[in-house]
Amino acid sequence: MNYHKLSLFCAALLVCSCKKTVTLNLNTAPAQIVIEGEVTSQPGPYTVTISQSVGFYTDNTFPPVSGASVIISDSTLGIADSLTETVSGTGIYATHSLQGIPGHIYTLSVTSQQQNYKATSTMPMPIPLDSISFSQLSGFGNNQISAVANFQDPPGVKNYYQFVEFVNGAQITKDIFVFEDRLSDGKYISNTLYNDTSYLFQGDEVKVNMYCIDENVYNYFYQLMQSGGTGAFNTTASPANPASNISNGSLGYFSAHTVSSQQRVVY
Amino acid sequence: MLTTRTFRLQRALVFLLSTLSPFLLFAQARHTVSGTIRDQSSGETLIGASVAILNHPRSTVQSNSYGFYSLNAAAGKYTIVVSFAGFRNDTLEVSLDKDVIMGVSLSPADAQMQEVVVSANRNNANVTKPLMGVQKLSVNEIKDVPVIFGEKDILKTIQLLPGVQSGGDGSSGFYVRGGSVDQNLILLDEATVYNPTHLLGFFSTFNSDAIKDVTLYKGAIPAEYGGRLASVLDVRMDDGNVKDYGVSGGLGLISSRVNIQGPIEKDDGSFIVSARRTYADLFLKLSKDTNTNRSSLYFYDINAKANYKLGDKDHIFLSGYFGKDNLGLGNTFGLDYGNSTATFRWNHIFNSRLFSNTSLIYSKYNYNVSVNSGNNDIGINSFVRDYHFKEDLQYYLNSDNKINFGVEVIQHTTSPGAISATNSSSFNPLTLQQKYSLESAVYISHDLSLSDKINVNYGLRAGLFTVFGPGSFYTYDSSGNPIDTATYGSGQVVKNYFNLEPRFSMSYRLTDNSSIKFAYTRTTQNLHLLSNSTSSNPTDVWIPSSNNVKPEIADQVSTGYFRNVDNNAYEFSAEVYYRYMQNQIDYKNGAQLIANEYVESQLIYGIGRAYGLELFVKKKVGRLTGWVSYTLSRTERRFGEVNADSWYPANQDRTHDLSVVGIYKLNKKWTLSSDFVYYTGNAVTWPSGKYEVDGQVAFLYTKRNGYRMPPYNRLDLSATLQGKKTKKFDSNWNFSLYNAYGRENPYSISFEQDPGNPAKTQAVQYALFRWVPSVTYNFKF
Repeated sequence: MNYHKLSLFCAALLVCSCKKTVTLNLNTAPAQIVIEGEVTSQPGPYTVTISQSVGFYTDNTFPPVSGASVIISDSTLGIADSLTETVSGTGIYATHSLQGIPGHIYTLSVTSQQQNYKATSTMPMPIPLDSISFSQLSGFGNNQISAVANFQDPPGVKNYYQFVEFVNGAQITKDIFVFEDRLSDGKYISNTLYNDTSYLFQGDEVKVNMYCIDENVYNYFYQLMQSGGTGAFNTTASPANPASNISNGSLGYFSAHTVSSQQRVVY
Repeated sequence: MLTTRTFRLQRALVFLLSTLSPFLLFAQARHTVSGTIRDQSSGETLIGASVAILNHPRSTVQSNSYGFYSLNAAAGKYTIVVSFAGFRNDTLEVSLDKDVIMGVSLSPADAQMQEVVVSANRNNANVTKPLMGVQKLSVNEIKDVPVIFGEKDILKTIQLLPGVQSGGDGSSGFYVRGGSVDQNLILLDEATVYNPTHLLGFFSTFNSDAIKDVTLYKGAIPAEYGGRLASVLDVRMDDGNVKDYGVSGGLGLISSRVNIQGPIEKDDGSFIVSARRTYADLFLKLSKDTNTNRSSLYFYDINAKANYKLGDKDHIFLSGYFGKDNLGLGNTFGLDYGNSTATFRWNHIFNSRLFSNTSLIYSKYNYNVSVNSGNNDIGINSFVRDYHFKEDLQYYLNSDNKINFGVEVIQHTTSPGAISATNSSSFNPLTLQQKYSLESAVYISHDLSLSDKINVNYGLRAGLFTVFGPGSFYTYDSSGNPIDTATYGSGQVVKNYFNLEPRFSMSYRLTDNSSIKFAYTRTTQNLHLLSNSTSSNPTDVWIPSSNNVKPEIADQVSTGYFRNVDNNAYEFSAEVYYRYMQNQIDYKNGAQLIANEYVESQLIYGIGRAYGLELFVKKKVGRLTGWVSYTLSRTERRFGEVNADSWYPANQDRTHDLSVVGIYKLNKKWTLSSDFVYYTGNAVTWPSGKYEVDGQVAFLYTKRNGYRMPPYNRLDLSATLQGKKTKKFDSNWNFSLYNAYGRENPYSISFEQDPGNPAKTQAVQYALFRWVPSVTYNFKF
């Protein structure tokens, strides 16, 4: 529930919310490995990206990890695809022949610097994204337009969804949108993609990809969203790294998911 | 269920009484003077007034919560001195050849007189009484302390006392000796107040106009109180003027209040009604934007009380509180929440030595959320409700022995959440199971004066917490999945938790005006607040102990040195404490606390410890009054799942915490006051790096609470201008400035992408209050 919106609104009335940039004395933890991998229901190749963490005050360039051995297996079929780095030095590894199939179990194995990292993800059955609509929230001098994803949740099973939003071709990377049917099983769902950092305008071309993800991947993104809160009231008491489905202390996730897309011009 | 249990407890009570009978026998040659102590002008009873035989300081007794006192002595003629802070002493001759009933009325001392009169026999109970870690405040004392928005507020004033920490800038939430916010038992006329704040914590639920007396127990907690680990804040409402009708009130920038009181029957009964409302949101109505001008943000609350004397031995009281917060954002979002309490009390004086109070209490806290977006209409509501019976008996055996015993039964019902949704909504209607529990206790404590030097208070509270059906109770595996469900029928016992809570405190008098004290207290807690945010959140949910959640237990030892100087004009105390806490509760990372049937699977359990030194010096009389309070402390928690099972500082761990309060009576017209606060920043979790995931920057955390917020400091100023005072009309203007030097104290720090440079991330600090001025006009006629 978008509770913090209300808190911010109260604060705006009661107080001067003075905001300023501060420089803190933050430690830099030793570089840690970050693995991001996916298998989708769309045709391959699929990629696994491996990089490292950096200090808070350094630039947002994350050193790629080259020379790793990366294998994705379809445990259901009993086949394995050994990935190769697309361009040496990029840390991006691609599959050759693997095709994602809903219901299959996939495992990822990465070996780098004598360390082995493993993850498993099950690709859920596909659910189509019906349509996109738009909702408006006005007040306090601005009119915020948000995209709404409309789809039918199948009854009787736990479903987890992730949404990726593109505006005029560019992905919105600052917000994470996930949804679970814990309180909505079997309903026709209109899920508003509340956008905290950028606004849609009339005439913008909006594309939404809806993924059906497994529970661990949902938990990963939900926790990532919670730990990334910004603003005066929106911080959790104790942020932490999201629990990854990859073993051996790696950051990141491995997700086997379906994809369904819709596109619409903001009205 | 409730009645059989009550009956059983009554039997236990009779047994307790019969064991006391040997005491009753050897007291025959003595007589008792007893009665009620009142304020002469209004007839309000005075709580904690001292009654003593002249030149026999050991004989001192204090009036109880209803103004009743009982003093026992061998037959003879005595001079009795009655005193109370802010009032003129009264000296009475009494001839004890039989039991005597003697009511006493004290007249308020005006400012100048106070200096002369009060020094005659100033109260030194802080030195002599065995209880330690007790802070008493009268509303008189807090009225001149500057506070934010000009709204005098007991919760913000107690934060200026040693061992009590504020919940954040402008917040009414508080922490006591390393406890959490939910570990404070907050009572309004004995009814539990589950959410003591309004407007997300910026105001307290206590309207000072309706409050008579506030006592905070943070060290030795008397056996009559139980149910929370860290402290007891016992707030008593005014009874109302039994002599005359009166109206008083105040007009402020943010809120206004009115108070009406008067006799129901002169000297025998009175009533008081006090109400206030904030109206900051009226400015919203000026907006042309329909969503803005339909928004709301206000609270109101009403305190009401009536009392009536039924003859000399019986007195009944009915009091209640109702408060409601209403926050709404146009038609899209609404949240309302509030407490309601009702207390019926019957005081009965069996004889001059046995005082009884029977209370029937109701308390409820609830919230409702409504969200309307598109065709998504949903509502969520939740409540916690108590029916509470308490019988308390005070037996004044003689001036060396006072026994307090009683029984208490509370039936709790908690409804963790019910979702209502229309057909077209994306959500299903859902009602989580209500939880039922019964909290019962018997207690006894004995105030014993062993010699002129040694006073002891020891007691025992035996508590039984029963979880009962109907309902399904789950067992979880280590990863939190339900593996077994046990279903219980209505009234079936699911689980019993029995706890003995010993309480002990003693004082040893070194000289006439100095003493050392020692105390040990065990407390337990069976209702736990689930809260996951840094700011106070009205939708936090209370859960009872269950088959999974065990009672929280705390043991505290404390010792201190107390000294009064200059004929009790200055009080000084130094206390050290150590508290160990078991079965503390925290949440798993990413816990789902809202509308979750399996919410207990989201919890983790650990231990806590807190220790510290508290220094306090208070100047009680003269043109300049005030206090300095300093706390040096450490508060830590340990959970297997956090920081590799090592001790780490709790959020509220603050090494240094200093408060200075000064009130200066410049002349008959002007009173100036000021307070200064400094404390170490909270322990917080900040990133120690960053990485990229899904095209966005994520922050890397290494240790929970491994960093510190910058230190907090603030100075507030206030001036009160007394208007012309006549018999009929009295008024004053109060001007205050919160955060006078405009320091931007960080409320929170968040980590964001630098909007000006996408290649960088930055830390952004949010401060809430700088130079908050306020003006309030108060009147009384």
